[in-house]
Amino acid sequence: MKLAVLSGKGGTGKTTIASNLFHSYGQAILMDADVEEPNSHLFIQPSIHHSSLVSRGYPMVDQDQCDLCGLCGDFCRFNAILPAKKEVLVSKELCHDCGGCKLVCPQDAIQYKQRSIGKIHEGVTQEGQPMLYGKLNVGEISGVPIIEKMHQMTEDADRVIIDSPPGTACTTVAAIEVADYALIVAEPTPFGLSDMQMVVEMLEEMDIPFGVVVNKAGLGDDNLHAFCRDKGLEIFTEIPFKREYAQKSAEGRLLSDVDPDFHRKMMELGQKIWDREEA
Amino acid sequence: MSLKEIAIVSGKGGTGKTTLLASMIPYFDNMVLADCDVDAPDLHILMEEEDLDQQDFVGLQRPVIDLDKCIHCMKCVNHCRFDALTDDIQLLTAKCEGCAVCELVCPTGAIVMEDYAVGKITRSQTPYGKMVHARLIPGEETSGKLVAEVRNKAKETAQKEEADWILIDGSPGIACNVIASITGVDTVLIVIEPTLAGLHDLERVYDLVKRFSTEVMVVLNKSDLSDKGRQGILDFCQKKDIELILEIPFERALVEAVVEKELPSLYAADFFKTIGFEDMIKAVKGE
Repeated sequence: MKLAVLSGKGGTGKTTIASNLFHSYGQAILMDADVEEPNSHLFIQPSIHHSSLVSRGYPMVDQDQCDLCGLCGDFCRFNAILPAKKEVLVSKELCHDCGGCKLVCPQDAIQYKQRSIGKIHEGVTQEGQPMLYGKLNVGEISGVPIIEKMHQMTEDADRVIIDSPPGTACTTVAAIEVADYALIVAEPTPFGLSDMQMVVEMLEEMDIPFGVVVNKAGLGDDNLHAFCRDKGLEIFTEIPFKREYAQKSAEGRLLSDVDPDFHRKMMELGQKIWDREEA
Repeated sequence: MSLKEIAIVSGKGGTGKTTLLASMIPYFDNMVLADCDVDAPDLHILMEEEDLDQQDFVGLQRPVIDLDKCIHCMKCVNHCRFDALTDDIQLLTAKCEGCAVCELVCPTGAIVMEDYAVGKITRSQTPYGKMVHARLIPGEETSGKLVAEVRNKAKETAQKEEADWILIDGSPGIACNVIASITGVDTVLIVIEPTLAGLHDLERVYDLVKRFSTEVMVVLNKSDLSDKGRQGILDFCQKKDIELILEIPFERALVEAVVEKELPSLYAADFFKTIGFEDMIKAVKGE
């Protein structure tokens, strides 16, 4: 089963839950798909045994062959190739590598070169558990190709926990689209509820069944619980808001190591989720 | 006075961008708000708003396939670099990037690119000024483009109103929507928490922001969470010579304010006084 851990709102505890579930219950590969700001490796501290580059193509124009007809610029939907007065200018970061400009060029003046947009690091924890995380180069506009590569790499894996990015846009979709099940980590505050509702809409649209973990329970109000009740959503577990938890996480500690109660909750969570798989 | 734009970003999510922005509002006369966190907009929750106008946002075009004209030559499937077309020529919308190569290579004109609305952009009136905000349909692409639209509309509105300030609520991360939130602004505030993850993310978002010619300042929220974490942030700011303009200790009243749908700096005015919020505002305004 591929399990996506997501939230909508940032900072609700996706990495906390995903990393601790992985650490306590194990029996899965941890994939950190928040490639813009990956954090799980800070807690899990894997020993990295392999790093690879993720590349994307961009057009290289042979200015001698080019007759500045402008067809490439007319075709490009992303403003990545711009015929100017004396030469064709290329904005590499904007290029989606669709291959269109080469197809339309009547002079066959365009070839594609590869450039790195980020990296994937693969490693194991001290306990021998495998994990991988992606890291987008700063300045790049989209981490989707890195996420897709990580999915390819874990295609045949039995169990994957996918620590997903915040929000509901294309990177989150890319992270969760292979998921068989999703866990929404929600915080019971007005912003938390509002963003969770958007995530629910997205998961329903994508036909991914899901359950809920309420984190920082007791922080805000009851509306999140009311929403879950009204929609018949299963709340797997609740983690209370505790300054101690916040402080230990702040220092990079895994809460399962710090608090036996937290560890027990992660074990129960794991059992409930993987039992579902067996059922 | 010329129009100035201030954007709030964070790298890491959940550090308090929207809460901070909302708290700043009463200190800025004559301003326009831009909520650029388009896939999870929250600022409107704290506002009594009256919608003035709303438009569909067309991000990309999408291919519309006329199977009657299709001769199953498979050119579209073979040329699509995003695996967005199945073998029976169905479109997988989540994968489609709107490049139009399929339309280009189709020999029979069976594929036509058409406008496709992926969100809505709204201009509202709030008690504090006009607000431009948007919602991307969950799961859709082109959030960066939608953010750029929100920015444009906010600027148009600000120029019409002769406003002095645009306050921009950004999103977490460092990619297209964040880039679109900070291009061309005068000041970027990075809101951060005193955590290991927060420091890691601060390094990356700062690496992004410093590429733009803008003033950068840091606000440390929930500052008393961890001494070690706090020191890490302080050391980083000192090393990079970044101004840390305010430290806000964790205060439940800020959450209560949001629950009560009130601007935190009005709800917990005494708290904001003790932390020196007014001095921070002066620093942001460049006074």
